[in-house]
Amino acid sequence: MRDLLFPILAATAPAPAMTWLGDTVREQESAFQKRPFYYAFSGVSRHFDKRGLIEVSEERSQALDAKVAGFSLEGWDQFRLARVLLLLTLGKQEKTVFLETIAALLDTADLREAAAVYSAFPLLPHQEEFVEASVDGLRSNIVGIFDSIALGNPFPAAHFTAEAWNQMVLKAIFINRPLYRIVGIEERRNPDLSAAVSSLAHERWAAGRTLTPEAWRNCTSPVSDRILTDLEHLLDEGTAADREAAALVIAREEPDRVRHLHEQLEAELDAIAGGSLTWDHLGERLESPIT
Amino acid sequence: MRFFDSHVHMVSRTTDDYQRMAAAGVTAIVEPSFWQGQPRTEAGTFKDYFNSLIGFERFRASQFGIQHYCTIGLNPKEANNEKLAEAVMELMPLYICKEGVVGIGEIGFDDQTKAEEKYLRRQALLALEADLPIQIHTPHRDKRAGTIRTMDVLEDVGVDPAKVIIDHNNEETVRAVLDRGYWAAFTIYPHTKLGNQRMVEVMMEYGAERIVVDSAADWGISDPLAVPKTAALMKDRGITLEQIEQVTYHNPLAAYGQSGQVSEEDWEGSAGIDPTALFEGNSLLRGGMDVESAMSQYLIE
Repeated sequence: MRDLLFPILAATAPAPAMTWLGDTVREQESAFQKRPFYYAFSGVSRHFDKRGLIEVSEERSQALDAKVAGFSLEGWDQFRLARVLLLLTLGKQEKTVFLETIAALLDTADLREAAAVYSAFPLLPHQEEFVEASVDGLRSNIVGIFDSIALGNPFPAAHFTAEAWNQMVLKAIFINRPLYRIVGIEERRNPDLSAAVSSLAHERWAAGRTLTPEAWRNCTSPVSDRILTDLEHLLDEGTAADREAAALVIAREEPDRVRHLHEQLEAELDAIAGGSLTWDHLGERLESPIT
Repeated sequence: MRFFDSHVHMVSRTTDDYQRMAAAGVTAIVEPSFWQGQPRTEAGTFKDYFNSLIGFERFRASQFGIQHYCTIGLNPKEANNEKLAEAVMELMPLYICKEGVVGIGEIGFDDQTKAEEKYLRRQALLALEADLPIQIHTPHRDKRAGTIRTMDVLEDVGVDPAKVIIDHNNEETVRAVLDRGYWAAFTIYPHTKLGNQRMVEVMMEYGAERIVVDSAADWGISDPLAVPKTAALMKDRGITLEQIEQVTYHNPLAAYGQSGQVSEEDWEGSAGIDPTALFEGNSLLRGGMDVESAMSQYLIE
């Protein structure tokens, strides 16, 4: 992984910073010491460009995905990637030292440091030890921290219980995060989550508010009668994107059960059959910078 | 005008203060670690305090368009609880190299005990190790002797005076501090520290070089607008604009800029304050009117 991430960082980072990072990684690997490691981890801010964003070529992006499916550097800055590279070094230490150091870093982290630690979890050993920390991190009110766990990070899908998974997805809906960037959003659908989405929709509708169309992606098939009624409501009252979401749900159902809706969704269902409308497309279109 | 208030304890201040500071032109602030009015009994509360300085308080300030930096340190009062002090010294390496940490501070003497000197020395060494400026708190009692002793200790450890900002100076300490090559900061704090008319007199005598004006506003009766108010008074008393800008903006920026963790670029690229974009309704504009009436009485005595 390191051989893949180093050149990605080097593509945008200042050369002296890369030299410093390379030296630091070598020193820490030959003789790990806590205090210098803390200095280096926080001191990344002294060497890299705080406004510098990571750019990943399509080829490298695919190589990353082949190594750790779903892992994405989208939206990362130089600080985060440099710190993840340091954490990979830490992963080679003895288990107790490794876990103690991670806990200390997380306990005293600023926003960007916390994001780096959570982002690194799917690349580190002893991942089972980080479930609680990730669940706790999602309780943050700071969007950047929530995103580092929920988006482009395969850790929750691999390790969360259904209960923790459902909480994460519901909070993501609640704070308007792009669901299509949640790794495993498709695979981890479950009837409890479908029911919770329906309840949330009813709450919103009662208050005269709306729900992101992406929320319906969480429905398991076959949908409950209640959700079927919700979809009908979307067709009556919803936006064009709501109709597309309803069509995407219906496309997964037994045709006979939803025949009465097909007529109203002909164009959307054609688009789905032709491959030009998917949940990911819909999500990408809906994603807008948070306000 | 814009101002850099290099000493203000925002954890004790309300959002009204943030609004008024932003409206009065305070662009960047340094929040030193200090005691919180009552002694802490656990090192864990220090950790959470440091976390709030690098975390939530920074986030809170940013919502008002103010750049927030901090200094990390064990204050002299609590240095006297040695068990606690040792635990805090263990914590400090986790914080001092973080983004936006512009120094070790505020450290120095309170009662001028042996324990206080011990932790002043150890923290000065830590500053050397991390190559950071030091923010010094000078004692309220026996200030002149305490200030001289602080400088003796720092020089004994091998600290460069150009990297040290000595705070809470008055007419009795300023000469020695400047002569020995340190930055001399003055806290404009009603009743117990320095009023701003006295500050003007100091400027008349010593000029602006290596002089810094701050508010040290905290949980006591203090004034988070002390820096802009003092600038207004200086203008009124005929001090040049160039000198005013030097002591309320350029000097603190240069002194703490030695950390490499603060530069004008941090706020120059930003669009500045757009009150309508930041807040529902006109809360910041109201802050603007408040500030007008607050600033009309700019004498602090």
